[in-house]
Amino acid sequence: MPLDTSSYSLALLRLDGRRWNELRRITAQISTMPSADGSSYLEMGNTKVLCTVTGPCEGGGTRDRDRADIRVELAIAGFSGVDRKRVGRGDKRVSEMVSTIQSTFASTLFTNLYPQSTIHISLHVLSQDGSLLAALLNASTLALIDAGIPMRDYITASTAGSTSSYSSNDESADPLLDLNTSEEQELPFLTVATLGGSDQVSVLVMETRVQAGRLEGMLAVGVDGCKQVREILDDVVREHGKEVLKSGRL
Amino acid sequence: MPRELGPSLNERQFFLQALKEEVRIDSRGFGDFRAIQLDFGDEYGVSDVRIGKTRVLTNITAEVTTPFPDRPFDGPFTITTSLSAMASPSFSGPPSETEVLLARLLEKTLRRSGALDTESLCLIAGRAVFSIRADVHVLSHDGNLTDAACLGVVAALRHFRRGDSEVKGEDVKVFTMAEREGVALSLLHYPLCVTFSFYEGEVVLVDATLSEEQMREGSCTIGMNKHGEVCQIAKLGGAPVDAVILLSCSNLALRHVERMSKVMEERLLEDAKRRYKGGIKAEPSSENARVP
Amino acid sequence: MAISAEPTVVLSHLHHTDGSATFSQDGYTVIGAVNGPIEVSRRDELPEEAVVEVTVRPAAGVGGTRERHLESILQATLRQVIFIHNFPRRLIQITLQVTSTPDNDSVGSKIVQASVNLPILPSLLQTSVLTLLSASIPLAMTLTSILLAVTPDGILRSPTIKEIQGANSVHVLAFSSHGELLVAESDGIFTMDVWDDVHTVARRICCVETSANDSMQEDGLEEKAGGIMTFVKSVLQEKVNQDLNWKK
Repeated sequence: MPLDTSSYSLALLRLDGRRWNELRRITAQISTMPSADGSSYLEMGNTKVLCTVTGPCEGGGTRDRDRADIRVELAIAGFSGVDRKRVGRGDKRVSEMVSTIQSTFASTLFTNLYPQSTIHISLHVLSQDGSLLAALLNASTLALIDAGIPMRDYITASTAGSTSSYSSNDESADPLLDLNTSEEQELPFLTVATLGGSDQVSVLVMETRVQAGRLEGMLAVGVDGCKQVREILDDVVREHGKEVLKSGRL
Repeated sequence: MPRELGPSLNERQFFLQALKEEVRIDSRGFGDFRAIQLDFGDEYGVSDVRIGKTRVLTNITAEVTTPFPDRPFDGPFTITTSLSAMASPSFSGPPSETEVLLARLLEKTLRRSGALDTESLCLIAGRAVFSIRADVHVLSHDGNLTDAACLGVVAALRHFRRGDSEVKGEDVKVFTMAEREGVALSLLHYPLCVTFSFYEGEVVLVDATLSEEQMREGSCTIGMNKHGEVCQIAKLGGAPVDAVILLSCSNLALRHVERMSKVMEERLLEDAKRRYKGGIKAEPSSENARVP
Repeated sequence: MAISAEPTVVLSHLHHTDGSATFSQDGYTVIGAVNGPIEVSRRDELPEEAVVEVTVRPAAGVGGTRERHLESILQATLRQVIFIHNFPRRLIQITLQVTSTPDNDSVGSKIVQASVNLPILPSLLQTSVLTLLSASIPLAMTLTSILLAVTPDGILRSPTIKEIQGANSVHVLAFSSHGELLVAESDGIFTMDVWDDVHTVARRICCVETSANDSMQEDGLEEKAGGIMTFVKSVLQEKVNQDLNWKK
């Protein structure tokens, strides 16, 4: 179903009523699963993701004897998309996301503190509506914090797009923040993840064609979105900490 | 299956110290490629790319099939990559992460960016289309497989000639090369990949060798065409890099893509000259030779 | 492009493997690579001899039953050729990548795929032996092999695809350097007498060594005969010369 993007230039409002630099509503909870070492539930608009972290536990160190291994499992529920689809284990898109998440946290966590051990990150996608990789990264960050695994800083992610398609060369094209599925299908977009609200880019994935000149604007908006996401996630963590203190569970 | 051995601590230290003194082990500049050699086979659609000691062979084949029911006008275009024990003993067994990522990168750069005009492969809507298949064989792996494989596939696609066809009512006849000259595929643009390797957050290397790849902290592959359109960016985790550095990488990528496109253009022209029989057997092409 | 019947070979041109060779003959080009002796997974290891693993990869598409069949023939043969008792609990891994097959202008490429498996076998055998030589793996013998087709007009050496389609039977024979029959694969209908004839012809081609001058005087089939053995020997000689170059 092609998305009608013509109305954007009139009111400068996107289909769901957002401005160009507005995030969707992000709600998150941590410690949702008492049995796991760390867990989180994150919603970015209608994208809903569940993450549990187990570990660091014994075994591992197969890649590097002095560091912990990070194992990522990703399950995309058949009912999560618009049409019911089974995503196989061998799906290349899924294994690419798994390897991205694994490699991102391998260089963010202090894995050198846990030699010969393994950290399991298990992700479940309950509902997808765009920005899937970004939601997965954000949920993993929260669960890892909940598990108390030392890391350099938050890894926060968001998506950024551009209102022009690659063929048109109009100068008036606006960058957009945090795309939903219908926007992702129509517009060029990238997923960006930064370390702790700085300009340090850890993940940058773009799969659509776009003029090189447009890249700078999109990246800037994306990095700015990551900073906003970091504030939101930080609030969630602090809120949770206060509650724990109040209830005297420590 | 044996594991690939990484560089030793001494090697690593030596390499990093050398980088600090702005020297690469093989004395290249940080932004330089190794020598690129591109050859074509006797048959159409066979390309052999050598970047230093890395060697990738690509074979394009076409056959007439029925299209997928949801896309009756599109000819299927598949890219398969095979990393065999020939490239390294550690590649035997189930597909490794390297292989999956390579296949995904090629698919994103070539298929998703619409490099091949799949609608031009349609013979009878919903009934018969040409399906194009690219087999990428890695013969020797010394780093930078992505760039080599991407160049190989694009060059082979441009070199390939499918059998001319004729549709009479419901019947499709495909002529062999002896009966009629083949027809070139219609490509909309020629995307190429450039891979950057990051060290210590600051140093950016282009076209890393295998040992440089084993020591890098992060990498980023940028797919571009020579018109300055970015088709794909993949920085899949690894050490964080400043956004400004990534942007400057995309500018550098364009320079390399322009240079590689030129090499490809020259080699294709040489090959065409070698094959030119002149006169009436001259080849029909769907492309306008004067448009660069 | 004209197909050259003369075999050509490039040795040790891949840098990441222990031995490699590219061999082309009669329009077939095969790239071979050997890794070995290397570590073998505990599941596959043999306590007293080396495991020989052969992988055949087609130029287009993924390998199927046809490749598995060729692999099983090659594996059984090479276990005789290699001194496997020298490397207990080790793996010798041979990868053969087919890069081109003679295309037939009058037949679509699909039909060639479905034809009999045998025509490519001599090239695969020859490549694997040359690759093993390049890796300097101890061998009990070298081998030479030939494809013959029995047609109503007589026995043809290295037939084209068209000739194979018109043939009554197709035979691949390989002989060791000691003159023993190593491989005999046949396809089609033939009598024992015909097979005996095929065997005689094949033995003459594969085992008799002739110098370039002699072959000029002989006739018909034998015009190119003896070439294979001489070829393997000359390749070997050149390799040894090159390897010992440092001594000069």
